[in-house]
Amino acid sequence: MKGSTLAMNKNKFVYAAFLAIAFAATFSACSDKRSTGLEYARNMYDPIAYNPDQPNKNFKDGKTAQLPPANTKPVGFEEYDVYPNTLEGYNEAGAKMVNPLTADSVNLAEGKHSFVVFCAPCHGEKGDGQGHLVKIEKFAGVPSYQTGASSRGGNMVDLTAGKIYHTITYGVNNMGSHASQITPTDRWKVVMYVQQLQKGQ
Amino acid sequence: MRDISMILKNVWKSLLLFTAISAIAVSTVSAQDAAAGRTLFKAKCTSCHALDQKMVGPALTGVSDRHSEAFLLKWIPNSQGLIASGDPEAVKLYNENGKVAMTSFPELDETKVKDILAYIKEGEPKPKAGVAGAGGTQAVDNGDVSGLSIAGIVAIVVVAVVILVILGRASKLLERLILQKQGIETEEDVPLKVGVRKMFKNKKFVMFFILCLIIALGSWGWMGMWNTGVHTGYQPVQPIKFSHELHAGINQIDCQYCHNGAFKSKNSTIPSLNVCMNCHKAVQARDNYEGEISPEIKKIYNALGYDPETQKYDKSKEKPMEWVRVHNLPDFAYFNHSQHVVVGADAIRKAKGLQPNEPVCFACHGPVNTMEEIYQYSPLTMKWCINCHKETDISGQKNNAFYAKVIEAHEKIKKGEKITPALLGGLECGKCHY
Repeated sequence: MKGSTLAMNKNKFVYAAFLAIAFAATFSACSDKRSTGLEYARNMYDPIAYNPDQPNKNFKDGKTAQLPPANTKPVGFEEYDVYPNTLEGYNEAGAKMVNPLTADSVNLAEGKHSFVVFCAPCHGEKGDGQGHLVKIEKFAGVPSYQTGASSRGGNMVDLTAGKIYHTITYGVNNMGSHASQITPTDRWKVVMYVQQLQKGQ
Repeated sequence: MRDISMILKNVWKSLLLFTAISAIAVSTVSAQDAAAGRTLFKAKCTSCHALDQKMVGPALTGVSDRHSEAFLLKWIPNSQGLIASGDPEAVKLYNENGKVAMTSFPELDETKVKDILAYIKEGEPKPKAGVAGAGGTQAVDNGDVSGLSIAGIVAIVVVAVVILVILGRASKLLERLILQKQGIETEEDVPLKVGVRKMFKNKKFVMFFILCLIIALGSWGWMGMWNTGVHTGYQPVQPIKFSHELHAGINQIDCQYCHNGAFKSKNSTIPSLNVCMNCHKAVQARDNYEGEISPEIKKIYNALGYDPETQKYDKSKEKPMEWVRVHNLPDFAYFNHSQHVVVGADAIRKAKGLQPNEPVCFACHGPVNTMEEIYQYSPLTMKWCINCHKETDISGQKNNAFYAKVIEAHEKIKKGEKITPALLGGLECGKCHY
């Protein structure tokens, strides 16, 4: 008799615990913004191949995104090692490089689009060095294309296409390299637009 | 005697007054200089220099102790000329700083340079930092208050219910005691357990109870099934507390600056850390952390093996930043960002009623410029895709190469000319090899 009541109590206890856990699990899954919630057949959503941002045990460093093997280059890749990131390389690029694109309205419009996205936050939409980030005092001392002086000698207004291209590619002082964000063709379009701004147009 | 002490007192008073006035005058004069110097410093110097940390150029606190004023007056307006003239101090300074030339400032005359030097000597005025700090703590307090107030309301409700139950029991007990005193017999309270058992013997009640249970569980299950695999509102904890509200909202940086893949390709790329460094090499939010680099910005430096003191990268210390993916379309669904944000931009803007100053990205990703932490705004379900494709009006698209091709093919069909799959994009690799 005593044994059976104990067993009954045990059963009740198990039921109660089960219910409590089930409720807790479902409700926390519904309201928890940190979890993806209820899922069915999750493996249908997980990629079969590796996504570039996934860990990958097949490579020594555990990353899926690998650099190309040494001494190879992707199709269509433009090398820019000719002009190194030095003052000499900068001056050489300035003297030798010419914009391969013709200045037409389509190229200028695309150059303006890239300029507004990548350059205007600091340099300002008119290239006057008064971008939004300068106005709210996050950055300061951005030279104006029309009236400023270049830290590498001369005035901003006299910078040649090659010098501007070199600067976008490598960056200078507090400006970082934008080579990973702007393709070489787009960079030339930006150069074209910057040269328009130099003239105050 | 008394007169003399009075006179002395008066003299003393006027002396005090005089010194006080002159001290104020002197301090205001030097403050004016430093204030003008601060403005000049912010405009001309801060792209390369800071007071207490090395940036492109050396830290400037104590510059007047390191160099004579006469040298600085020559150096600042025309450093490159001074180096070229072979001044030994100038050449030494140039070599010590990695041969990085300093911009020449011919527009800075003697008084302006002296103003700047005065500002460097005095340093940043203190109260500003205090205000910024107070603002920060206030914001934190506000966040706590909202959480606390909800907890408080719940606690008050619970306490109120408990009090009501106790009062009810007490009044019943008192009533019975009074009746007993008057000599009237009362029925004993029916125990709760027996009452419930009685209720469950009533068939009508049991039916009603089961019906309620079925409706509640059914609707709950139905809702649950609809939401299965839908991640709307998903907001995982990210390795860096990156605020889209700050970057896209307050700083107004275009989405494409970091997610530049969205306009060029299928994927909207997560920026690599070099993109962060384009700004955060200089922006370290020291004002908010008592002169220290923000701990969140330090995480970028650590992941890159970057040392802010020497400004050098150590490749051996590099480790990837493991962001948690928020928006995840399964591989069996094809979605192309550039098709939507470049080709379909105008149509999507019109369909979703976006303002001209809002990026087209907001159509699906919601008001990202107000999200301190990013979360999934849209359900990304098939129904959601299809509804938008059913409703969006794409007529009247000018200069659209895609629709131009479609129209060209239709013209050919109308004329009865030969049409090949190749003309309709049948040679795209992805048609078969996706």
